[in-house]
Amino acid sequence: MLKSKRTEIAVALVLISPFLLIYGVLFIYPTVKMVQLSFTNAPLIGAGEWVGIKNFQRLSFDRLFISAIWNTVYFVVLSVIPSTLLGLVVALGVNRLKGWVQSFVLAAFFLPYILPVSVVFRVWSWMFDKDFGIAQNLIAPFNDGQHISIFRTVPLFMPAVAFVTIWWLLGFNVLLFIAGLRNISTEIYEAAALDGASRWTQFRRITWPLIWPVTVLVLTIQLILQLKIFDQVYLFANGGRADATMVVVQYIYKQAFQQSHGGLAAAASLVLFVVIAAFSILQFQLLRARGAT
Amino acid sequence: MVPLGTLGVNSIDASIGRSAKKAAAVENTMGGFEVFRKILSTALLTTALYAGAAQAKDTIVWWDFLGGGDGVRMKSMIEEFNKEHAGSVEIQATTLDWGVPFYSKVQTSAAVGQGPDMMTYHESRMPLGVSTGSLSPLSTDELKASGIQDSDFGPANWKAAQGPDGKQYGVPLDIHSIILYYNKTLLKQAGLLGDDGKPKGLDGLANWEAALAKLTTNGAVGLSVATADGGTIWRIFYTLLSQQDGVLLKDGKFLDGDNLGKATTAIAEMQKWVKSGWVPTKTEYPASIALFTSGKAAFHINGVWEVPTMVDLAKKGQLFDWGAIQIPAIYAHPATWADSHAFSIPNRQGNPVDPAKRKLVLDTIHWFNVHSLEWAGGGHIPAFLPVQNSAAFKALKPNSDYSSLATTAVFDPVSVLAGVASPVYDAAGNYVLPATNGEMVPADAAKQMRDDLQSQAK
Amino acid sequence: MSAPEMAAAHRNIRRLDRIGLALTLATVLGAILWAFPLYWAVVTTLKPEAEVVQAGVVLWPRHFTLDNYFHVLFDTKIGLWYINSLITSGAVTLIVVVMAAGAGYAISQLAFPGRQALWWMILASFMVPIQALIVNHFILMSQFHLINTLAGVVGPQLIAPVTVIIYKQFFDSVPKDFREAAVIDGANNFHLLFRIYLPMNWGVTTALGIITFIGAWNLFLWPFLAVTSQEEMNVSVGITQVFDAFGVKYARDLATAILAAMPVAIVYLIFQRRVTQAIMLSAGIKG
Repeated sequence: MLKSKRTEIAVALVLISPFLLIYGVLFIYPTVKMVQLSFTNAPLIGAGEWVGIKNFQRLSFDRLFISAIWNTVYFVVLSVIPSTLLGLVVALGVNRLKGWVQSFVLAAFFLPYILPVSVVFRVWSWMFDKDFGIAQNLIAPFNDGQHISIFRTVPLFMPAVAFVTIWWLLGFNVLLFIAGLRNISTEIYEAAALDGASRWTQFRRITWPLIWPVTVLVLTIQLILQLKIFDQVYLFANGGRADATMVVVQYIYKQAFQQSHGGLAAAASLVLFVVIAAFSILQFQLLRARGAT
Repeated sequence: MVPLGTLGVNSIDASIGRSAKKAAAVENTMGGFEVFRKILSTALLTTALYAGAAQAKDTIVWWDFLGGGDGVRMKSMIEEFNKEHAGSVEIQATTLDWGVPFYSKVQTSAAVGQGPDMMTYHESRMPLGVSTGSLSPLSTDELKASGIQDSDFGPANWKAAQGPDGKQYGVPLDIHSIILYYNKTLLKQAGLLGDDGKPKGLDGLANWEAALAKLTTNGAVGLSVATADGGTIWRIFYTLLSQQDGVLLKDGKFLDGDNLGKATTAIAEMQKWVKSGWVPTKTEYPASIALFTSGKAAFHINGVWEVPTMVDLAKKGQLFDWGAIQIPAIYAHPATWADSHAFSIPNRQGNPVDPAKRKLVLDTIHWFNVHSLEWAGGGHIPAFLPVQNSAAFKALKPNSDYSSLATTAVFDPVSVLAGVASPVYDAAGNYVLPATNGEMVPADAAKQMRDDLQSQAK
Repeated sequence: MSAPEMAAAHRNIRRLDRIGLALTLATVLGAILWAFPLYWAVVTTLKPEAEVVQAGVVLWPRHFTLDNYFHVLFDTKIGLWYINSLITSGAVTLIVVVMAAGAGYAISQLAFPGRQALWWMILASFMVPIQALIVNHFILMSQFHLINTLAGVVGPQLIAPVTVIIYKQFFDSVPKDFREAAVIDGANNFHLLFRIYLPMNWGVTTALGIITFIGAWNLFLWPFLAVTSQEEMNVSVGITQVFDAFGVKYARDLATAILAAMPVAIVYLIFQRRVTQAIMLSAGIKG
């Protein structure tokens, strides 16, 4: 049996060595550098002097950084669970259909995912434009006939950006859920239907438990992705009250690229990494506990 | 290596004359029929460029951030340069995304010895470029050798391209500022149009506010401004501050002493415009232009770069009788925010631009200054005084209507925190913008702006 | 079944059909609403600018025009940019999917020293924002003399933790009986991977391929930093330098943006059925 163990290791090595090589050069090394950088006052590019934990201290006193963390968490709450659940609902809907109707529906929900963020930004800032946006026709009746500048009104900003983000990225979740749903044998459903189980019971007793691993997967991926949110928030806030709705990666971008504070940006990245790791582990434990019941 | 001096850059006047013709030619926009001509000429031009590239003895790698209307003009100027110097020098130009991405790319490229031979750079962002070591200092001797001297530029303009060490890091090309666009028809109706076709009775706070009130009727507002855009808000705020002799940054202190009060006054005034209904609230940039061009706003404050937009529309017969003048002196004396496009040489670590190429680049910069009348077609004011003071420029409309602003132009504070897409611009968006739209008390906005910027200054 | 039971079953089926119809309608309606913003964007680009800013909702252009597209198509190197995008995105997709399938399988099914550590490293790489690493990537690519090359654009994109994570999870959920049965039949690991695990997950492979390709096609910041000349730009970088007027240009901006996204959208729509089928391929648990 030792032989098969050695073979197993050899096979594994073959399968992962290109992977390891690329990761070694393009992830491990830059990350080590990033950690190093976070203890210096280096600019965007080039070396700096050692300053110990000064960057981290600075972050802890920086009102903007702290509010960025809160804004990021707020955004995650607004987007992760809704987009996951909606993804499942849509996947269920698509799964039932056949033929060209199915193709049309899947295309409609998936096409936004194909767009780069700049297009999404232009489409939606045009839809919501305060003076000429078509959505204002739906908003104005609720606001004494007045148009609202959605993205320039601070309390509306995050929900609006979350809404746009869900519209944009739903396709990803839908695809994964469909792949997962197809792995559930139709015979189980047929048997249940013959036993007189309603649609809802079928969902609760069959679909939900069996799709649970995919649900956990999607939730985890979405959680980590949205904790790193940047592009949409940056684009929609640009030129306005950017500080009020700043998210952490935006803060990192500002420090690194706008102000050339490479060391401080690296420190912020490290803090974000710890936050993401903590949240992911927390969510994973919670979900694992739930899944066991 | 063929020095530019021998290549026909003779009398400045002749060059200006040629540029004037070119400027007029560029005004032609594409009609449907033009499209087919375009396809053909693109194909031919591509072939010609490739063939030409094979022959050119020297190439200058050029980066700029001039997309948009400016880009059309710069592109045609580069083509003219290349045609004039075919066989000896060729500019290979690449345009990159404007703002933070451009400056970061210059910085990272220079740091690893990559990057262009020359590039455009906002004077307002030069302090940051100097502090990150991205810009190469230009010595007085090499500048003189290419015909570039400080007496050919306005003193403030020339100084704004210097670093804290007093060295010259760029050569100005233009001055761009904000101006007051106006609708002659609406002004005439309100009795605010002089016999010379220019607005009258706008000087001084009382007159200005009265004019706005008069022009705000049921059908139109007095003034449209991009009240949702931090950049626009900054430029107007800075203008109003400077008109009171206020200073944003002095000796490392932001809004110190009575400057804080002056800032509050400026912000309060902007808030008054919106509150009184003379300026619509939270208008996005393109919408603010559309309001003016559709006749729903009598005045419009925006950068000179929108002049081509107006000229284009007027040419198609889609615009009313319009004009543009310097922002009136609402406070003590006239002053307008201004920034400047300049040319710089990157400081490429380990692979510097060699002296011969530097000479070529500086000669090229001088050529562009001499021909900057064509650039003025984009609404800018040429920084090169011989062109600025020339008869041809004085005859250029509408530029000559507002070029007086060059004498009282106030440039962004010299700080790594200031300039295009900088923390100062951000602060305008974070504090002055909400105050203007009635979401913050002006005094608070000024104070928070000061505190925010001061805390970032180190 | 007895007669009354059959009648009850029939009633159930009819009721189910009505609910089923309602669900179908709801789904289709949802799809139409979901797609509306895109429709609206495209319609806007087909109107002249003056019409765009008029009051009122005009769902179909009064004056149809393609002007907004002409400039980008004929005055820029967009053809070249499309090709560059195709090459780099294709390369990234192929390499990433192959590598991720292999690595995902190894982590999921094989025992080897450092397996846990490798898994944690992959998760960790997903948690670090790319903005923190991008400058170091730039320095590295510069040291390898890969700046301003398509290979340099591809390099850092090969870090694709999501793909491995998804493969690993789906491989994990393949029932063990298949593996055991095949091993008894004398299959080695490569057989297992290529004859069982991958075929059972074609849907996921297709999905991951699409997602990776789209991500690579739409990437901006890295290609922007890594490329200095127009000839090496991909579409998302190239279109940011489109020369055009300032001023009121809602339609032109949208047109430029749509042109950048169009090829992928068109390809997707054309191969829509194949793609749907591939994803819908039932993994099927027989028996």
